[in-house]
Amino acid sequence: MSEATGILRGGARRRWLAPVLWAALLLGACLGMESLQGLFRLVEPDSRRVVYARADFLVLLGRHVFVVAVASLAAVALGVGAAVAVTRRAGRDFLPLVAQLASIGQTFPPVAVLALAVPVLGFGTLPIIVALLLYGLLPIVRNTLAGLEGIDPGVREAARGMGMTGGQLLRQVELPLAAPVILAGIRTSVTINIATAAIGATVGASNLGDPIISGIVNGNTAYVLQGALLIGLLALTVDSLFARLQPTLT
Amino acid sequence: MIELIGVSKRFGQTTAVDDISLRMAPGELSVLVGTSGCGKSTTLRMINRLIEHSDGEIHIDGQQIRGFREETLRRRMGYAIQSTGLFPHWTVARNIGLVPRLLKWPASRIHARVESLMTMLGLPMDEFADKMPRQLSGGQAQRVGVARALAADPDILLMDEPFGALDPITRETLQHELRELQARLQKTIVFVTHDMDEALRLADRLVVMDQGRIRQQGHPLALLREPADGFVASLLGGEDRGLKEAALLTVGERMMPLGAKPLPGERISRHATLREALSMMLWRHAERLVVIDDQGMAIGELSLRRLVGARSHE
Ligand SMILES: Nc1ncnc2c1ncn2[C@@H]1O[C@H](COP(=O)(O)OP(=O)(O)OP(=O)(O)O)[C@@H](O)[C@H]1O
Ligand SMILES: [Mg+2]
Repeated sequence: MSEATGILRGGARRRWLAPVLWAALLLGACLGMESLQGLFRLVEPDSRRVVYARADFLVLLGRHVFVVAVASLAAVALGVGAAVAVTRRAGRDFLPLVAQLASIGQTFPPVAVLALAVPVLGFGTLPIIVALLLYGLLPIVRNTLAGLEGIDPGVREAARGMGMTGGQLLRQVELPLAAPVILAGIRTSVTINIATAAIGATVGASNLGDPIISGIVNGNTAYVLQGALLIGLLALTVDSLFARLQPTLT
Repeated sequence: MIELIGVSKRFGQTTAVDDISLRMAPGELSVLVGTSGCGKSTTLRMINRLIEHSDGEIHIDGQQIRGFREETLRRRMGYAIQSTGLFPHWTVARNIGLVPRLLKWPASRIHARVESLMTMLGLPMDEFADKMPRQLSGGQAQRVGVARALAADPDILLMDEPFGALDPITRETLQHELRELQARLQKTIVFVTHDMDEALRLADRLVVMDQGRIRQQGHPLALLREPADGFVASLLGGEDRGLKEAALLTVGERMMPLGAKPLPGERISRHATLREALSMMLWRHAERLVVIDDQGMAIGELSLRRLVGARSHE
């Protein structure tokens, strides 16, 4: 028994290793980009500057995380809420519509959402949050639906037959059983949005997309690489966090 | 006491249950039988309002079920189904304690109740309490399903093929346990099955359904001896009805009591069924068996003539 818990604890420690490592690399890269100057000089020998310095990387990272977090939280609330609503008896009629929207929406490019959002919401952070929210909604809705529909009908029948209320059924049975699938949807949504948020730089939302856009505009590949490196590390950090979370919920 | 008065259920165009009337007395075990799709499950689910009836009235202890809140009604009734519907993310103990927890029993009382049920159903607490449903065999899972249905000590138990998909031996064990349980607890049980032997063995009242209607109801022996029509006769076993009837009667009821002198011969328990006695006679090529009691004492004799019930000669 004590051996088993020992193994468990060791396992838990190992699972935290990946997210901590990626986060450390991310922070290190933000703070120590200057020290990689020599490396970037190889890529961009002719430019006057090879490390992006118009804004602090940490600030850009913070803004990036903020935008993605706000959009993702809203997407989770809306997406899970919508999927739950259309699987209740009262909302059943809307199930085909929502399921279809969720699959069609996925084929809609985020740039197009941005292009449509800017005239309505103006430049800045808001349009990118809206674009990310809409785009991130889809994998969440789709997976929540799949998770709820995948529950053994016998379980639902027994739960109702035993006298659980709708709310008890949802909170104690359906959501916990669907949680791994829902979480996988959130993971996809957040990871995609971390990459997609960079596009926000084109409509004036300053984040880790800035060095990339600026690099493309000024023909400075080193800037592009720095933005891409940090976005990649952020995506890996968050993804490994989800990987850590996933098995504990099953 | 459950009473159905002229109850019907329509799903759009199809009539699943058509004007049935049934009265199930307290302590009575009623078994619904019939071909697939004849409305057995629908009838059962109307009683706990998983399905709302279209016409007629259903009463529990004299009160219309529509007068209760759905959840209140269901927590008063046990419900066990073939697929068990155990919650895969809960332990066995937590699954069994579901309804008591919904009824807000104190934790200590739930624990004691779960423990006594698990013991009663042959699932030792220290071995099974913390298991997850996927770690159980089919028979163990169905026991847990039955324990869960019994947990809040409901007066009424609704069981929809609760022992389906089990091997004959486990099935027979569970049937036996249910009979014993019923003898002690005196619930009003409504039981659905496709297995005619199971139906005959368990039923106080056998209800034969066909296309949403009740063809005949009554004690199994009465239905076997006087089926209302060809459908009932063939459903109850057709040519095998003689054997089915023999399976419902015991050696003790047919034997000829004996004086003190024990006779040599094949021995059979007085609790054995006539069917088992006949089988033994065929197997041993014997026309006569010695009947013994629980202590192994010879108490009577069963001849082939007596077994087949050649009544006029007695
Ligand atoms: N929710 C439903 N919607 C539409 N039709 C239904 C529904 N439930 C049952 N039925 C129909 O009602 C009829 C009776 O079904 P029911 O499940 O009561 O049969 P059953 O006697 O339990 O059959 P089985 O022995 O196969 O379990 C069937 O024709 C079935 O197709
Ligand atoms: Mg059925």
